[in-house]
Amino acid sequence: MINTIILSYITFVYFGAFMLYLLMMVIGKAIFGRLASLMSVAGLGAHTLAIIIRWVESYQLGIGHAPFSNLYESLIFFSWTLTLLYLIVEWRTKNRTLGAFVMPLAFLAMAYASFSPNITSRIQPLIPALKSNWLITHVITCFFAYAAFGVSFGLSLMYFLKRLDNDHKNSTFLNLIPQKGVLDDLNYQMVAIGFLMLTLGIITGSVWAYSAWGRYWGWDPKETWSLITWFVYAAVLHSRMVRGWTGKRIAIMSIIGFFCVLITYFGVNYLAGLHSYATS
Amino acid sequence: MANSTSKTKSNAVWRFFSSVKLTLFLLIVLAIASILGTVIPQLPQRESLEFARGLSPGLFKLFSFINLFDMYHSLWFRVLIGCLALNLIICSMDRFPATWRQFRFRPGPDRSKPFENLPSNQTFLADGNVEDTATHIARFIKNYYRKIQRKHTGDRHYFLCEKGRYSRFGVYLVHLSVLIILIGGLMGSFFGFDGYINIVEGEQIDAIEVRRRTTPLKLGFEVRCDKFTVNFYENGAPKEFRSELSFSVNGKEMEKKNLLVNHPIKFKGMTFYQSSYGKIPGNKVRLKIVWHTNAHESVDIEAEKGKSFPLPGDEGQFEVLKVDANLRGMMGPAALISILPAKGEETRFWVFQNWDTLQTRFPKQMLQSPMLNASSFKPYTFYLQGLESKFYTGLQVNKDPGVSIVWIGCFLMIGGFFVTFFMSHRRFWVRVSSAKQGSTISIAGMSNKNPVGLQREVAHLTTILNDYLNKRK
Repeated sequence: MINTIILSYITFVYFGAFMLYLLMMVIGKAIFGRLASLMSVAGLGAHTLAIIIRWVESYQLGIGHAPFSNLYESLIFFSWTLTLLYLIVEWRTKNRTLGAFVMPLAFLAMAYASFSPNITSRIQPLIPALKSNWLITHVITCFFAYAAFGVSFGLSLMYFLKRLDNDHKNSTFLNLIPQKGVLDDLNYQMVAIGFLMLTLGIITGSVWAYSAWGRYWGWDPKETWSLITWFVYAAVLHSRMVRGWTGKRIAIMSIIGFFCVLITYFGVNYLAGLHSYATS
Repeated sequence: MANSTSKTKSNAVWRFFSSVKLTLFLLIVLAIASILGTVIPQLPQRESLEFARGLSPGLFKLFSFINLFDMYHSLWFRVLIGCLALNLIICSMDRFPATWRQFRFRPGPDRSKPFENLPSNQTFLADGNVEDTATHIARFIKNYYRKIQRKHTGDRHYFLCEKGRYSRFGVYLVHLSVLIILIGGLMGSFFGFDGYINIVEGEQIDAIEVRRRTTPLKLGFEVRCDKFTVNFYENGAPKEFRSELSFSVNGKEMEKKNLLVNHPIKFKGMTFYQSSYGKIPGNKVRLKIVWHTNAHESVDIEAEKGKSFPLPGDEGQFEVLKVDANLRGMMGPAALISILPAKGEETRFWVFQNWDTLQTRFPKQMLQSPMLNASSFKPYTFYLQGLESKFYTGLQVNKDPGVSIVWIGCFLMIGGFFVTFFMSHRRFWVRVSSAKQGSTISIAGMSNKNPVGLQREVAHLTTILNDYLNKRK
């Protein structure tokens, strides 16, 4: 399959972009940053193309469906949303330092999808439960939520690194990271977008579950973990909007939130439940 | 109202439930409690019983006492959710009067406070005199803002543009939506039910089993499964489960429909879902009978359960008494044969479809019983070629009057989020005062949130107004 070959090469493109972002921060030369952006954009373009090709190929196989139906496809899509969202943030903020913290996540997702022996990259036909118009909306909203929380995680890491910075240190790396206030504001925006998307993901999921399994909520482990994630980010938003917490506490909570996202995404595969088609 | 209430004797309770610290505490506790339920398998899953068996008696007692095997339906979990709901109501009531005041508050266009410490880039000059400039500004900003107040004192003109005033209520909309969803959920659990039924092809039912209820529930109509089909892909994965159902009331057929996964059927307020399927043996078995009289002869017979058939050679009659798709859960398809000879006693024995595999899997002594010997009645030997099997379809049958309320709540929540996260109440003051040549224009802005967005809008407004006034000619 040509799409899986392209996708496995994109793993290296994203790794290259990550390295260039890192070089830019360590050496402090803007040219590396520009190259990194160029590489990410090119990677994203090819990535988009590969997803479309995969979609078309599934129709040629006679089992046509949107490429969001198993773990391989979801990882590919996660990496895509992450890169897209990151590039939007880079373009809006005119700052490239975040790339060194987000692109490794995009690279890891691609590498896991392409090179893990437990993950099949074959296009599989849809089982009856997945044959629904809600598949596309549910997956897109959920993965944009995951991506926004991934970016928020990167920003929180940057926040903690920036705390190490002071006037005596003359580190280019730390100097290049934006001010703590800027990181905090951006983090809040990412959490808000992620929270909205997660809510949409949970709602579309419930509508779908209602037509497939006859109930909109059933405390399935994946459902429950998505709710746990929702609770954690609801706590982040309330502590910030009402109690006025900022900075370190918000960064810690965002990191905890992202761990909940990871459990919702991967950990739940080890617990019994109805979402088991996402395991392989 | 909040002030007067907090002065009464209930103020301790009120203060407790109006605290956001409590909200944070409850959210964290609910999150941690929910984790437990994903780690401990919950009823009615089979894993739950296995897990419980592995526990020490003391631990088991403790776990069942606090309902950890069905914790999402336990009292304490519901109390936690109830507390969150109460917290949310009281918090909203506590804060609403302040929001209402801010909503009603109308600052004058000639306020000076917004202009204190105004950055120099928010002030520019225009050629025209104050009056002309003010007229132009009035005409221009009308295109951008709907709500504009104007005032002039002495030689100064003031404008106040406002937008997004209603966005102050976004948070309340979100909170209300959470309550609506909870109400929908409660309605479902009080007035709805969650049932299931298996229907064998060709048969019909008029009652279903309901979870947490001992007696079957009468439907008031009949459902027949005319046919069930399952299709597979080439790789063996299931492609489609389809039940052809007919619904009838008092024997009169009302509706005929195909039920598929993801395409439930509604009938008389109840919703039917394709949930599982299985096979049960039908009434017919295919037998091969071999006998040695003069030569080795054999015959294939399709025998129906409960009917007598003559033995070949007319030595008597035989009958299939029982059919089992998997005898004792491990011996595979089997049929119980009874032979009534022309003279003598009845002989009974089981015949197995997988006799060869049974011989390798079970010790010899176990299979020596005459009951398991297909050659018990000499000179005949029976072979079971196959069972006719019938599908049954497993349906889930639900009634949930709270669903539409839940969906309304979901809609409101998304709307509320858009308002809360992406809209803010912004005010812009434009002041026109006379300068040595022409007039000075100053622009100030205030917002209830998102200061970055406000700054961007002020800068934009300054630029376009400057362009309009100075490049117009």
